[in-house]
Amino acid sequence: MTLWVVGVNHRTAPIEVRERFFLSGEQRRAALEALMDEPGVREAVILSTCNRTEVYLNASPSESPGDAGARVLSTRSGQDPAEAEGYLYRKREREAVMHLFRVASGLDSMVLGEAEIQGQVSDAYRTGREEVPESVGKILHRLFQRALSAGSRVRTETALGEGAASVPSAAVHLAEKVFGSLEGRRTMVVGAGDMGALTVRCLADAGTESPWVTSRTLETARDVADDVGGRPVAYDRFWEHLDEVEILVTCTAADGVVIDADRLSRAVRGSSDPLVILDIAVPRDVEADAADIDDVFLYNVDDLQRVMESTEEARRREMPRAEDVVAEEVGEFWDWYRSREAVPLIRAFRSRAEEIRRGEIEDLLEEMDGLGEEEREKIRSATRVVVNRLLHSPTVGLREMATEGEGTERLDIARRLLGLDDEDLEEWIQRESDE
Amino acid sequence: MIDVLHVLALLAYGGAWGLQVRAFRAGDPGKQNPALFVTLAGVGLHLLALGVYAGQHQVLPLIGVGPASSSLALLLVVMTLTAAEMYDVRSVSLFLLPLSLFLMGEAVWVGVEPAVRQTAFRGPWFVAHVGTTFLGYAGLALASGAAVMYVLQFRSLKRKSFGKIFQFFPSLDSLDRVHRVGLGSGFASLTVGLVAGTAWTVTYGGGFDLGNPQVLFGLVTWSTFLAALLVRLPGVLGDRAAAKVTALAFVVTTSVFLYLRIAAGDSPFFL
Repeated sequence: MTLWVVGVNHRTAPIEVRERFFLSGEQRRAALEALMDEPGVREAVILSTCNRTEVYLNASPSESPGDAGARVLSTRSGQDPAEAEGYLYRKREREAVMHLFRVASGLDSMVLGEAEIQGQVSDAYRTGREEVPESVGKILHRLFQRALSAGSRVRTETALGEGAASVPSAAVHLAEKVFGSLEGRRTMVVGAGDMGALTVRCLADAGTESPWVTSRTLETARDVADDVGGRPVAYDRFWEHLDEVEILVTCTAADGVVIDADRLSRAVRGSSDPLVILDIAVPRDVEADAADIDDVFLYNVDDLQRVMESTEEARRREMPRAEDVVAEEVGEFWDWYRSREAVPLIRAFRSRAEEIRRGEIEDLLEEMDGLGEEEREKIRSATRVVVNRLLHSPTVGLREMATEGEGTERLDIARRLLGLDDEDLEEWIQRESDE
Repeated sequence: MIDVLHVLALLAYGGAWGLQVRAFRAGDPGKQNPALFVTLAGVGLHLLALGVYAGQHQVLPLIGVGPASSSLALLLVVMTLTAAEMYDVRSVSLFLLPLSLFLMGEAVWVGVEPAVRQTAFRGPWFVAHVGTTFLGYAGLALASGAAVMYVLQFRSLKRKSFGKIFQFFPSLDSLDRVHRVGLGSGFASLTVGLVAGTAWTVTYGGGFDLGNPQVLFGLVTWSTFLAALLVRLPGVLGDRAAAKVTALAFVVTTSVFLYLRIAAGDSPFFL
């Protein structure tokens, strides 16, 4: 069996190409079924996000799993296979394992260290297993579990995931620098922009109260409020609530200023709490002079971008530590994976030895008429002990050889030395898989 | 032995501060663990040093410049560590460790030895006076460190300067809480200490000497931090202005301390 990854990502393909490769829920299920119908494919998982679409395979080395993966990806995305080939990458065995572990850790992401990818990897594995149960067996199960565990270790043991990696997370980061915990903080969103809704959702994930939502029309405000779990407020009345608000997100499509400094100053005069304003509209919704009001912290899109840049540098410094963690986890998985290659050989070897022992001892016991059943059993037991003792060292040696470099070649030599042909092994492998 | 342990503790605190500065320069709050462990090692050595002192001299290390400075330094470090873990403000040690280093340096410089006239300063009243006064000083120092950091972080956030201070310093809310708790508990403790000291002086000392630098320093500190506490009352000043007043109170008391310390010369009884 060999492990493969075939796919496209933000490094190999521009967004318009990645969009064509993207597989939504139903497409992904169909592609998974198609993959499982390919000769030699034992297991498959498809990961499809806006920045990558990848197929992970555990397949027989005698077939061409890489070609099968590429064929299914290009067919399902409706592309000419020859054209698609120019964007695809293929990695096998340890390289494929390393690739997945780096992806799950956020090391291969467009925004270094982003946390969302770990959830996406987990979803890909989980939904694949639910939709096409036979697509995930022992190997890919272990591979994905270890990859997710590597991702968690990177996030807890290094600062790769710290700081802001997107506009909404930069907004949360800034609000946390003022308020510490955002638990129970009161928020309001003015406008119906997608980024505003996304920012409010991120703030809610950090613990803020359900937000007030206002927009030019109450109907739109209701729609957005439903979307983010907030409470709609009529546009001409949102000023009345401003002195209760601690975080204000503005994202209208207005051409001019929506919140002027003078009126804001009067509105928040009675409040004893700071007010963080996240103006993510272009053009800006809040008059720049509002930043001069005491206890008002005003940030626009450029400021949020600068927060992201400041934390990106810190995350980059963490890369070597994160790579070390990933290498360690890959090493552990690889040892387990390679040691499995020795299992059929060891079993065939022991089975052959047991066969010889049993044949010889039973022939001998047949010739020894005078022995009772108790004595016969003692002799059988003694020979079993002798064989087991003789096989102990070679068994350990075979396991170790499998995990070392060039293990496959060494196992081939061992197989020939032990006189075990491929049919014996194939038989054991088949039985293993069936179990 | 006592001196050697003090020097080792001093080196540990110095090393911890160096590690904190390094973490600050990297702008990475996640790199503060080594400083914490070295500080804890320093506290262990420091406790051992003062334990040996108490065992050897059969007296608490509260009298005389060396022992008193050492005890106050220990109290300050322990309080900093406690607040850091309770309010998630480890970086406050960036400001308070130098203060502990100064006190420890002074203790090592003059020598950690009992003052000549120990016998007069004994009894539970005296221990209560010195203990609560030291607790008060440590609390006010903690409040001052948090206040200075609050002012700096506030400025970063207002000026949209997302550099090392923004990244390394805790949130305004956390700093304000440490400021408030340090100021409240420090002032209360100092008040109790001064009352106990007055009672002890009137009862056993026969009178109240305003010319005594210790008395003068205690009163100046109490008055300036009373002002800092009053401006924190609801409706008087905002959080930032209150933090500035505390920082100013700290500058005033530190200046007064340095002046009185120099003026006191080699008096063995003033801190």
